Amino acid sequence: AQTATASDTAGVKSEHHERLVAHVLLPCSSFSCVTTLEGHENEVKSVAWAPSGNLLATCSRDKSVWVWEVDEEEEYECVSVLNSHTQDVKHVVWHPNQELLASASYDDTVKLYHEEEDDWVCCATLEGHESTVWSVAFDRSGKRLASCSDDKTVRIWRQYKPGNEEGVACSGTDPTWKCVCNLSGFHTRTIYDVAWCHLTGALATACGDDAIRVFEESSPAAPQQPTFSLAAHVARAHSQDVNCVAWNPKEPGLLASCSDDGEIAFWKYQRPEVC
Amino acid sequence: MASPFSGVLQLTDLDDFIGPSQECIKPVKVEKNPGKAAAKIRIEADGSYFQINQDGGAQKLEKAKITLNDCLACSGCITSAESVLITQQSHEELYKVLTFNKTAAPSEQKLVVVSVSPQSRASLAARCKMNVLETAKKLTTFLKSLGVHYVFDTTFSRNFSLLESQREFVKRFRKQSEDKKALPMLASACPGWICYAEKTHGSFIIPYISTAKSPQQVMGSLVKGHFAEQQHLRPDQIYHVTVMPCYDKKLEASRPDFFNQEYQTRDVDCVITTGEVLRLLEQEGISLSDVDPVPLDTMFSSVTEEELTSHSGGGSGGYLEHIYKYAAKELFGIQVDTIQYKPLKNKDFQEVTLEKDGVVLLQFALAYGFRNIQNLVQKLKRGKSPYHYVEVMACPSGCLNGGGQIKIEGESSKDWLQQVEKLYESLKTEIPEKNQTVNELYEHWLGGMDSEKAAKALHTEYHAVEKTGTGFNIKW
Repeated sequence: AQTATASDTAGVKSEHHERLVAHVLLPCSSFSCVTTLEGHENEVKSVAWAPSGNLLATCSRDKSVWVWEVDEEEEYECVSVLNSHTQDVKHVVWHPNQELLASASYDDTVKLYHEEEDDWVCCATLEGHESTVWSVAFDRSGKRLASCSDDKTVRIWRQYKPGNEEGVACSGTDPTWKCVCNLSGFHTRTIYDVAWCHLTGALATACGDDAIRVFEESSPAAPQQPTFSLAAHVARAHSQDVNCVAWNPKEPGLLASCSDDGEIAFWKYQRPEVC
Repeated sequence: MASPFSGVLQLTDLDDFIGPSQECIKPVKVEKNPGKAAAKIRIEADGSYFQINQDGGAQKLEKAKITLNDCLACSGCITSAESVLITQQSHEELYKVLTFNKTAAPSEQKLVVVSVSPQSRASLAARCKMNVLETAKKLTTFLKSLGVHYVFDTTFSRNFSLLESQREFVKRFRKQSEDKKALPMLASACPGWICYAEKTHGSFIIPYISTAKSPQQVMGSLVKGHFAEQQHLRPDQIYHVTVMPCYDKKLEASRPDFFNQEYQTRDVDCVITTGEVLRLLEQEGISLSDVDPVPLDTMFSSVTEEELTSHSGGGSGGYLEHIYKYAAKELFGIQVDTIQYKPLKNKDFQEVTLEKDGVVLLQFALAYGFRNIQNLVQKLKRGKSPYHYVEVMACPSGCLNGGGQIKIEGESSKDWLQQVEKLYESLKTEIPEKNQTVNELYEHWLGGMDSEKAAKALHTEYHAVEKTGTGFNIKW
């Protein structure tokens, strides 16, 4: 079934994307190191700025997630060290407009954190993936989260606040996050990254099978049970694992990808007329 | 709950639950009999291993053991699976000694001494809904009913830790111009912090750390030194147990620095946590509130059998406060009665400043919990720390919130901690300088404050742990 899906949609690809490859060399003179943050015990896997620009999150193979604060003098101070994950942490990402942090880990979970009094605490654990969660991405509203995993699935999680109409149980004042969609059968290897376009709502994935896929939400959207369909599939986007995908925040449909093959590629994605 | 150790230790790989057989870089010594090269190994249903010889005979194989000492000496990835590591450091071990005493010949029996920390006592008091004195008396009854001979209080030995820290600070302050690493002096009572400092920042941070022993280890010197002499016993004829709010204290007791080579005995043989005392009570089917109280042992106490004392300055021992007041008086002739703490980034990072005519004379800080330790160390590395002394503790909120304390399900941890703090602070405070027994011990046991014997009994040293690569640290 998986290969059938892949070849069915393979035809779509030529119409909906074009590839530009860039080998990037950064001019060294334009950058200087301002500060080095020390503290993690070993490999630091991911770093992300909060929307306010005053907070920074990092995560590492040492299983911890750190939140840093930047003060007026460009001094960075550690505000919290979160030891909630039981295995190494692969990725951190902030909510698009709130101080809510998400992390993905080798312990198969996604965890969410917020500030409580003067420290950060884990306020939700998203369980469901059957293997390492490699990456997470919020949608534009921040009410939904996509996670991708070594279990070859992408899962969509939705936030339910206490007292929600749907009657989803919450503990205390923290919202509950529930898996509302499981995209399985599309990917043949580990999915390393997922990017949710805040302009178009398209969901792109980077996969260990060298492919890039784009998913679109079927309309009319049913918030409790959204369905996503494969809108584009570039089977050999790169000659090796695709590690990361990123949508341009200004230009709709401009996607960048990078791979073990050493290349960074840019793609133009056009939404199919009828989905 | 993944680990009982403090957050600091969890981060230093001490808590990787990786099988030692795969990853431990410490060579494990197993007594091996020379024999033929090839052998079969059979694993029994109970998990024991038998070597099957060619003639068909079976020989039980010894298990490799890794001790806490191995782990302290190693920067590699370490398992702390309790079954492997804490075999020497559990209430089961105390049971073994007490059981042994019941059947052994009188000459082989050990004198069992338990030293209880005031933080543990406050936690138990809150759990059993009793006042602190009542808890102390009833705990004494309970421990003695198990076969313990003496029950002491580490508040007493803390007098020495405080006095030695005070004097060390003033000495360091006076030589700050010639010794760049004299200040800031960093507290030494928290073993989680010490272990982290040795493993992660080694030779950079060690010179700043006060050499004063913690109350637990001063008690170790007292019990195996002075008390043993008084009882006409060798140190190894005493089994010394402490009750602590913190699992990391087990690591401290296991340090080679606190091992008496001559008599092959540790100053503190076994550390059990407050939570483990509660488990002891539960195993015996006893509720502490139902026990009849007995008078307290007064040999190492400040006052009488009907009273307990504490020190001012909070549940982590009051190091900052004692050193601050002493230094203000000694260095600047200023009498400080009350101390104003100024919270900075968070409640676990507070500052105290002594000013005169707009000039800062002393600037001290409390830094509790890993994030604040981290910021302190980074500030030090960048030469931006303004402090003369920092009371560093690994646990957020300090020792009353230690990992070995009793947790109550269904109660908010904040409310619970407040109850424990209130009980801890309910006692009358004493001033270490005014404790007669302490002064007499300095004179008669140690031969004065600056004697060599005092330095040995009350101070220790630290050892940077060299980083070595482990299997998992391979760079691709």
